[in-house]
Amino acid sequence: MRIPRKLEVWRMGTMNYLNALKLQEKLASDRKACKISDTLLSLQHPPTYTLGKRRTDHNLLVSEDELKTMGAELHYTQRGGDITYHGPSQAILYPIISLRDIGLGARNYVEKLELTMINLASTYGVQARPGRKCETGVWVGERKIGAIGVRISSGISSHGLAFNINPDLNYFKHIVPCGLADKEVTSLTREANAELPTEEVIEEQLIASFAQLLNYDNIEWKDNASAS
Amino acid sequence: MALRMWASKSATFLKISSFSRPFATVVKDLKYADSHEWAKVEGSSATVGITDHAQDHLGDVVYVELPEVGTDVTQGNSFGAVESVKATSDINSPVSGKVVEVNEELNDSPALVNSSPYEKGWIIKVQLSNNDEVKSLMDSDSYSKFCDEEDAKH
Repeated sequence: MRIPRKLEVWRMGTMNYLNALKLQEKLASDRKACKISDTLLSLQHPPTYTLGKRRTDHNLLVSEDELKTMGAELHYTQRGGDITYHGPSQAILYPIISLRDIGLGARNYVEKLELTMINLASTYGVQARPGRKCETGVWVGERKIGAIGVRISSGISSHGLAFNINPDLNYFKHIVPCGLADKEVTSLTREANAELPTEEVIEEQLIASFAQLLNYDNIEWKDNASAS
Repeated sequence: MALRMWASKSATFLKISSFSRPFATVVKDLKYADSHEWAKVEGSSATVGITDHAQDHLGDVVYVELPEVGTDVTQGNSFGAVESVKATSDINSPVSGKVVEVNEELNDSPALVNSSPYEKGWIIKVQLSNNDEVKSLMDSDSYSKFCDEEDAKH
Protein backbone atom coordinates (compact mmCIF):
# COMPACT_ATOMS: atom_id res chain seq x y z
CA MET A 1 0.00 0.00 0.00
CA ARG A 2 1.42 3.36 -0.99
CA ILE A 3 2.01 5.83 1.82
CA PRO A 4 0.04 9.03 1.09
CA ARG A 5 2.32 11.91 0.12
CA LYS A 6 1.72 15.14 1.98
CA LEU A 7 2.85 18.61 0.95
CA GLU A 8 2.90 21.38 3.54
CA VAL A 9 2.44 24.78 1.89
CA TRP A 10 3.52 27.97 3.64
CA ARG A 11 2.05 31.12 2.12
CA MET A 12 4.45 33.88 3.17
CA GLY A 13 3.14 36.96 1.33
CA THR A 14 5.95 39.37 0.41
CA MET A 15 9.23 38.27 1.91
CA ASN A 16 12.73 39.74 1.83
CA TYR A 17 15.11 37.58 -0.22
CA LEU A 18 17.66 36.91 2.50
CA ASN A 19 14.97 35.99 5.01
CA ALA A 20 13.51 33.56 2.50
CA LEU A 21 16.97 32.10 1.89
CA LYS A 22 17.57 31.57 5.63
CA LEU A 23 14.14 29.94 5.98
CA GLN A 24 14.88 27.60 3.06
CA GLU A 25 18.22 26.60 4.59
CA LYS A 26 16.53 25.78 7.89
CA LEU A 27 13.74 23.83 6.20
CA ALA A 28 16.18 21.92 3.97
CA SER A 29 18.23 20.95 7.00
CA ASP A 30 15.07 19.82 8.85
CA ARG A 31 13.88 17.90 5.81
CA LYS A 32 17.23 16.15 5.48
CA ALA A 33 16.92 15.09 9.14
CA CYS A 34 13.35 13.92 8.43
CA LYS A 35 12.00 16.34 11.05
CA ILE A 36 9.49 17.75 8.57
CA SER A 37 7.65 16.52 5.51
CA ASP A 38 7.98 17.99 2.00
CA THR A 39 7.36 21.72 2.28
CA LEU A 40 6.61 24.42 -0.29
CA LEU A 41 7.06 28.15 0.22
CA SER A 42 4.75 30.37 -1.82
CA LEU A 43 5.72 34.04 -1.80
CA GLN A 44 6.73 37.18 -3.65
CA HIS A 45 9.87 39.28 -3.24
CA PRO A 46 10.38 43.06 -3.23
CA PRO A 47 12.52 44.14 -6.23
CA THR A 48 15.54 41.83 -6.09
CA TYR A 49 18.20 40.70 -8.55
CA THR A 50 19.90 37.38 -7.94
CA LEU A 51 22.86 35.51 -9.41
CA GLY A 52 23.51 31.78 -9.44
CA LYS A 53 26.55 29.72 -8.45
CA ARG A 54 28.43 30.68 -11.61
CA ARG A 55 28.24 34.34 -10.57
CA THR A 56 27.54 35.62 -14.06
CA ASP A 57 27.54 39.28 -13.02
CA HIS A 58 28.62 40.38 -16.49
CA ASN A 59 24.90 40.03 -17.21
CA LEU A 60 24.09 42.84 -14.78
CA LEU A 61 23.95 45.97 -16.92
CA VAL A 62 23.92 48.59 -14.17
CA SER A 63 26.09 49.18 -11.11
CA GLU A 64 25.12 48.03 -7.64
CA ASP A 65 24.75 51.69 -6.61
CA GLU A 66 22.23 52.27 -9.36
CA LEU A 67 20.31 49.22 -8.14
CA LYS A 68 20.18 50.69 -4.65
CA THR A 69 18.84 53.95 -6.06
CA MET A 70 16.08 51.96 -7.76
CA GLY A 71 15.29 50.38 -4.42
CA ALA A 72 16.40 46.92 -5.52
CA GLU A 73 18.69 44.43 -3.78
CA LEU A 74 21.33 42.14 -5.32
CA HIS A 75 22.14 38.67 -3.96
CA TYR A 76 24.58 35.91 -4.88
CA THR A 77 23.22 32.40 -4.37
CA GLN A 78 24.12 28.73 -4.72
CA ARG A 79 21.30 27.91 -7.12
CA GLY A 80 21.76 26.93 -10.74
CA GLY A 81 20.94 29.34 -13.51
CA ASP A 82 21.98 32.82 -14.54
CA ILE A 83 20.93 36.30 -13.40
CA THR A 84 17.27 37.05 -12.85
CA TYR A 85 14.86 39.59 -11.37
CA HIS A 86 12.21 38.95 -8.72
CA GLY A 87 9.57 41.47 -7.72
CA PRO A 88 5.94 42.22 -6.89
CA SER A 89 3.36 40.31 -8.96
CA GLN A 90 5.76 37.53 -9.72
CA ALA A 91 4.67 34.25 -8.11
CA ILE A 92 7.53 32.35 -6.52
CA LEU A 93 7.47 28.70 -5.39
CA TYR A 94 10.36 27.29 -3.37
CA PRO A 95 9.76 23.53 -2.93
CA ILE A 96 11.89 22.04 -0.16
CA ILE A 97 11.30 18.40 -0.99
CA SER A 98 13.21 15.15 -0.94
CA LEU A 99 13.93 14.27 -4.55
CA ARG A 100 15.92 11.29 -3.34
CA ASP A 101 12.83 9.76 -1.69
CA ILE A 102 11.04 9.67 -5.02
CA GLY A 103 14.11 8.85 -7.11
CA LEU A 104 13.79 12.08 -9.12
CA GLY A 105 16.91 13.49 -10.78
CA ALA A 106 17.59 17.14 -11.58
CA ARG A 107 16.45 16.89 -15.17
CA ASN A 108 13.07 15.30 -14.40
CA TYR A 109 12.46 17.65 -11.48
CA VAL A 110 13.14 20.73 -13.59
CA GLU A 111 10.84 19.37 -16.31
CA LYS A 112 8.08 19.12 -13.70
CA LEU A 113 8.73 22.70 -12.58
CA GLU A 114 8.41 23.79 -16.21
CA LEU A 115 5.18 21.82 -16.59
CA THR A 116 3.82 23.35 -13.39
CA MET A 117 3.92 26.76 -15.07
CA ILE A 118 2.92 25.51 -18.53
CA ASN A 119 -0.21 23.82 -17.17
CA LEU A 120 -1.17 26.90 -15.16
CA ALA A 121 -0.74 29.14 -18.21
CA SER A 122 -2.91 26.88 -20.34
CA THR A 123 -5.75 27.37 -17.83
CA TYR A 124 -5.90 30.91 -19.17
CA GLY A 125 -5.57 29.97 -22.81
CA VAL A 126 -1.86 30.78 -22.93
CA GLN A 127 0.18 28.23 -24.87
CA ALA A 128 3.52 28.04 -23.15
CA ARG A 129 6.36 25.62 -23.87
CA PRO A 130 9.51 24.42 -22.13
CA GLY A 131 12.83 25.96 -23.16
CA ARG A 132 14.97 24.42 -25.86
CA LYS A 133 18.52 23.27 -25.07
CA CYS A 134 20.36 25.76 -22.81
CA GLU A 135 17.13 27.76 -22.43
CA THR A 136 15.58 26.11 -19.38
CA GLY A 137 12.42 27.93 -18.40
CA VAL A 138 8.94 28.53 -19.75
CA TRP A 139 8.31 30.43 -22.96
CA VAL A 140 5.39 31.83 -24.91
CA GLY A 141 6.76 31.97 -28.41
CA GLU A 142 10.15 33.65 -27.98
CA ARG A 143 9.13 35.50 -24.81
CA LYS A 144 10.03 34.16 -21.39
CA ILE A 145 7.19 33.92 -18.86
CA GLY A 146 8.74 31.71 -16.19
CA ALA A 147 12.23 31.12 -14.83
CA ILE A 148 13.81 28.25 -12.92
CA GLY A 149 16.84 28.05 -10.63
CA VAL A 150 17.30 25.11 -8.32
CA ARG A 151 19.71 23.80 -5.74
CA ILE A 152 19.88 20.10 -4.81
CA SER A 153 21.88 19.18 -1.75
CA SER A 154 21.80 15.73 -0.14
CA GLY A 155 18.86 14.97 -2.39
CA ILE A 156 16.80 17.90 -1.01
CA SER A 157 15.66 20.73 -3.29
CA SER A 158 15.66 24.45 -2.56
CA HIS A 159 15.06 27.60 -4.62
CA GLY A 160 12.59 26.82 -7.43
CA LEU A 161 10.51 28.74 -9.92
CA ALA A 162 9.37 32.29 -10.63
CA PHE A 163 6.25 32.87 -12.72
CA ASN A 164 5.42 36.34 -14.10
CA ILE A 165 1.80 37.18 -13.32
CA ASN A 166 2.10 40.96 -13.82
CA PRO A 167 5.49 42.25 -12.64
CA ASP A 168 6.91 45.56 -13.87
CA LEU A 169 8.88 44.20 -16.83
CA ASN A 170 11.05 47.34 -17.02
CA TYR A 171 13.14 45.92 -14.21
CA PHE A 172 14.35 43.22 -16.62
CA LYS A 173 15.95 45.90 -18.81
CA HIS A 174 18.81 46.24 -16.33
CA ILE A 175 20.00 42.66 -16.86
CA VAL A 176 20.53 40.18 -19.66
CA PRO A 177 17.81 37.88 -18.24
CA CYS A 178 19.11 34.36 -17.72
CA GLY A 179 22.10 35.32 -19.88
CA LEU A 180 19.99 35.25 -23.05
CA ALA A 181 20.37 38.47 -25.03
CA ASP A 182 17.70 39.41 -27.59
CA LYS A 183 15.00 37.54 -25.75
CA GLU A 184 11.94 39.31 -24.40
CA VAL A 185 10.33 38.75 -21.05
CA THR A 186 6.56 38.55 -20.73
CA SER A 187 3.79 37.92 -18.20
CA LEU A 188 0.46 36.13 -17.86
CA THR A 189 -1.36 39.47 -17.93
CA ARG A 190 0.27 40.33 -21.26
CA GLU A 191 -0.35 36.97 -22.88
CA ALA A 192 -3.82 36.05 -21.63
CA ASN A 193 -6.91 37.20 -23.50
CA ALA A 194 -9.19 36.12 -20.68
CA GLU A 195 -9.75 38.23 -17.58
CA LEU A 196 -7.56 37.06 -14.74
CA PRO A 197 -8.66 36.38 -11.15
CA THR A 198 -6.72 37.78 -8.18
CA GLU A 199 -3.04 36.94 -7.78
CA GLU A 200 -3.91 34.90 -4.71
CA VAL A 201 -6.11 32.62 -6.80
CA ILE A 202 -3.45 32.26 -9.50
CA GLU A 203 -0.83 31.40 -6.88
CA GLU A 204 -3.13 28.75 -5.41
CA GLN A 205 -3.62 27.25 -8.84
CA LEU A 206 0.14 27.23 -9.42
CA ILE A 207 0.59 25.35 -6.14
CA ALA A 208 -2.15 22.88 -7.10
CA SER A 209 -0.48 22.36 -10.48
CA PHE A 210 2.82 21.55 -8.74
CA ALA A 211 1.17 19.23 -6.22
CA GLN A 212 -0.56 17.30 -8.96
CA LEU A 213 2.59 16.85 -11.04
CA LEU A 214 4.59 15.65 -8.04
CA ASN A 215 1.83 13.21 -7.05
CA TYR A 216 0.95 14.63 -3.65
CA ASP A 217 -2.18 13.17 -2.10
CA ASN A 218 -2.91 16.03 0.25
CA ILE A 219 -1.91 19.62 0.85
CA GLU A 220 -1.73 21.19 4.29
CA TRP A 221 -1.95 25.00 4.20
CA LYS A 222 -0.10 27.20 6.66
CA ASP A 223 -0.61 30.92 6.15
CA ASN A 224 1.98 33.48 7.24
CA ALA A 225 3.79 30.75 9.12
CA SER A 226 6.84 32.08 10.88
CA ALA A 227 10.18 30.29 10.92
CA SER A 228 10.56 28.48 14.23
CA MET B 1 22.46 -12.30 -33.93
CA ALA B 2 26.16 -11.86 -34.66
CA LEU B 3 25.96 -8.23 -33.64
CA ARG B 4 24.46 -9.12 -30.28
CA MET B 5 27.24 -11.69 -29.66
CA TRP B 6 29.85 -9.12 -30.55
CA ALA B 7 28.23 -6.55 -28.26
CA SER B 8 28.11 -9.03 -25.41
CA LYS B 9 31.79 -10.02 -25.92
CA SER B 10 32.81 -6.36 -26.04
CA ALA B 11 30.87 -5.70 -22.88
CA THR B 12 32.67 -8.53 -21.08
CA PHE B 13 36.06 -7.34 -22.38
CA LEU B 14 35.37 -3.76 -21.26
CA LYS B 15 33.98 -5.05 -17.97
CA ILE B 16 30.66 -3.35 -18.58
CA SER B 17 27.45 -4.97 -17.39
CA SER B 18 24.80 -4.88 -20.03
CA PHE B 19 21.10 -4.56 -19.25
CA SER B 20 17.83 -4.97 -21.01
CA ARG B 21 17.63 -1.19 -20.61
CA PRO B 22 20.26 0.20 -22.98
CA PHE B 23 21.19 3.15 -20.76
CA ALA B 24 23.09 3.55 -17.50
CA THR B 25 26.20 1.44 -17.77
CA VAL B 26 27.84 0.24 -14.59
CA VAL B 27 31.52 -0.67 -14.52
CA LYS B 28 32.67 -3.74 -12.59
CA ASP B 29 35.58 -3.34 -10.13
CA LEU B 30 34.43 0.16 -9.13
CA LYS B 31 32.74 0.92 -5.83
CA TYR B 32 29.52 2.91 -5.63
CA ALA B 33 27.78 5.23 -3.18
CA ASP B 34 24.00 5.49 -2.93
CA SER B 35 24.28 9.13 -3.94
CA HIS B 36 25.54 7.91 -7.33
CA GLU B 37 29.26 8.58 -7.12
CA TRP B 38 31.89 5.95 -7.98
CA ALA B 39 35.34 5.31 -6.55
CA LYS B 40 38.22 3.48 -8.26
CA VAL B 41 40.45 2.36 -5.41
CA GLU B 42 44.10 1.75 -6.20
CA GLY B 43 46.16 1.04 -3.10
CA SER B 44 45.76 3.94 -0.71
CA SER B 45 44.28 6.36 -3.22
CA ALA B 46 41.04 6.58 -5.15
CA THR B 47 39.70 8.35 -8.22
CA VAL B 48 36.15 9.67 -7.83
CA GLY B 49 33.43 10.64 -10.26
CA ILE B 50 29.70 10.40 -10.82
CA THR B 51 28.01 7.43 -12.45
CA ASP B 52 26.33 7.07 -15.83
CA HIS B 53 22.98 6.87 -14.01
CA ALA B 54 23.76 10.18 -12.30
CA GLN B 55 24.78 12.03 -15.44
CA ASP B 56 21.71 10.78 -17.28
CA HIS B 57 19.44 12.04 -14.50
CA LEU B 58 21.23 15.39 -14.31
CA GLY B 59 21.04 16.41 -17.94
CA ASP B 60 23.75 18.32 -19.81
CA VAL B 61 26.40 19.46 -17.33
CA VAL B 62 27.44 23.06 -17.98
CA TYR B 63 29.62 23.70 -14.95
CA VAL B 64 31.60 21.70 -12.40
CA GLU B 65 32.65 23.28 -9.10
CA LEU B 66 35.92 21.60 -8.13
CA PRO B 67 37.49 21.64 -4.66
CA GLU B 68 41.04 22.93 -4.18
CA VAL B 69 43.88 20.44 -4.05
CA GLY B 70 44.67 19.78 -0.41
CA THR B 71 41.04 19.97 0.74
CA ASP B 72 39.89 17.27 3.14
CA VAL B 73 36.90 15.22 2.07
CA THR B 74 34.69 13.04 4.25
CA GLN B 75 32.69 10.01 3.13
CA GLY B 76 29.08 11.06 2.52
CA ASN B 77 29.79 14.80 2.60
CA SER B 78 29.68 17.28 -0.24
CA PHE B 79 32.96 18.30 -1.90
CA GLY B 80 31.75 20.12 -4.98
CA ALA B 81 28.81 20.57 -7.30
CA VAL B 82 27.69 20.27 -10.89
CA GLU B 83 25.24 22.52 -12.70
CA SER B 84 22.82 21.23 -15.33
CA VAL B 85 19.43 22.50 -16.54
CA LYS B 86 19.56 25.45 -14.12
CA ALA B 87 20.04 23.10 -11.16
CA THR B 88 23.17 22.88 -9.02
CA SER B 89 23.56 19.43 -7.48
CA ASP B 90 26.06 18.70 -4.71
CA ILE B 91 28.53 15.88 -5.28
CA ASN B 92 29.29 13.79 -2.21
CA SER B 93 32.57 11.98 -1.65
CA PRO B 94 32.33 8.18 -1.40
CA VAL B 95 35.64 8.15 0.51
CA SER B 96 37.47 10.18 3.17
CA GLY B 97 40.92 11.66 2.72
CA LYS B 98 42.76 14.53 1.08
CA VAL B 99 42.25 15.77 -2.47
CA VAL B 100 45.55 15.32 -4.34
CA GLU B 101 44.38 16.10 -7.86
CA VAL B 102 41.34 17.61 -9.57
CA ASN B 103 40.34 17.21 -13.21
CA GLU B 104 41.06 20.73 -14.52
CA GLU B 105 39.77 19.68 -17.97
CA LEU B 106 36.27 19.92 -16.55
CA ASN B 107 36.65 23.70 -16.32
CA ASP B 108 36.67 24.00 -20.10
CA SER B 109 34.81 20.79 -20.92
CA PRO B 110 32.21 20.09 -18.22
CA ALA B 111 30.29 17.87 -20.66
CA LEU B 112 32.98 15.19 -20.23
CA VAL B 113 30.97 14.21 -17.17
CA ASN B 114 28.11 13.28 -19.50
CA SER B 115 30.07 11.73 -22.36
CA SER B 116 32.64 9.82 -20.31
CA PRO B 117 31.52 9.58 -16.66
CA TYR B 118 33.91 6.75 -15.73
CA GLU B 119 36.97 7.79 -17.72
CA LYS B 120 37.65 11.33 -18.97
CA GLY B 121 34.92 12.76 -16.72
CA TRP B 122 36.67 11.79 -13.46
CA ILE B 123 36.42 14.58 -10.90
CA ILE B 124 38.95 14.24 -8.05
CA LYS B 125 41.72 11.95 -6.82
CA VAL B 126 41.90 11.33 -3.09
CA GLN B 127 44.65 10.06 -0.79
CA LEU B 128 42.56 7.80 1.45
CA SER B 129 42.62 8.32 5.19
CA ASN B 130 40.70 5.12 5.91
CA ASN B 131 40.76 2.18 3.50
CA ASP B 132 38.16 0.31 5.59
CA GLU B 133 35.47 2.80 4.63
CA VAL B 134 35.46 1.40 1.10
CA LYS B 135 33.79 -1.76 2.48
CA SER B 136 30.60 0.20 3.10
CA LEU B 137 30.28 1.05 -0.62
CA MET B 138 28.30 -1.06 -3.09
CA ASP B 139 29.78 -3.29 -5.74
CA SER B 140 28.59 -3.01 -9.34
CA ASP B 141 25.82 -5.63 -9.01
CA SER B 142 24.36 -4.10 -5.84
CA TYR B 143 24.54 -0.64 -7.39
CA SER B 144 22.73 -1.75 -10.56
CA LYS B 145 19.96 -3.19 -8.42
CA PHE B 146 19.85 -0.01 -6.35
CA CYS B 147 19.42 2.10 -9.51
CA ASP B 148 16.59 -0.11 -10.75
CA GLU B 149 14.79 0.19 -7.41
CA GLU B 150 15.22 3.94 -7.36
CA ASP B 151 13.93 4.36 -10.91
CA ALA B 152 10.90 2.25 -10.08
CA LYS B 153 9.84 4.82 -7.48
CA HIS B 154 8.32 7.20 -9.99
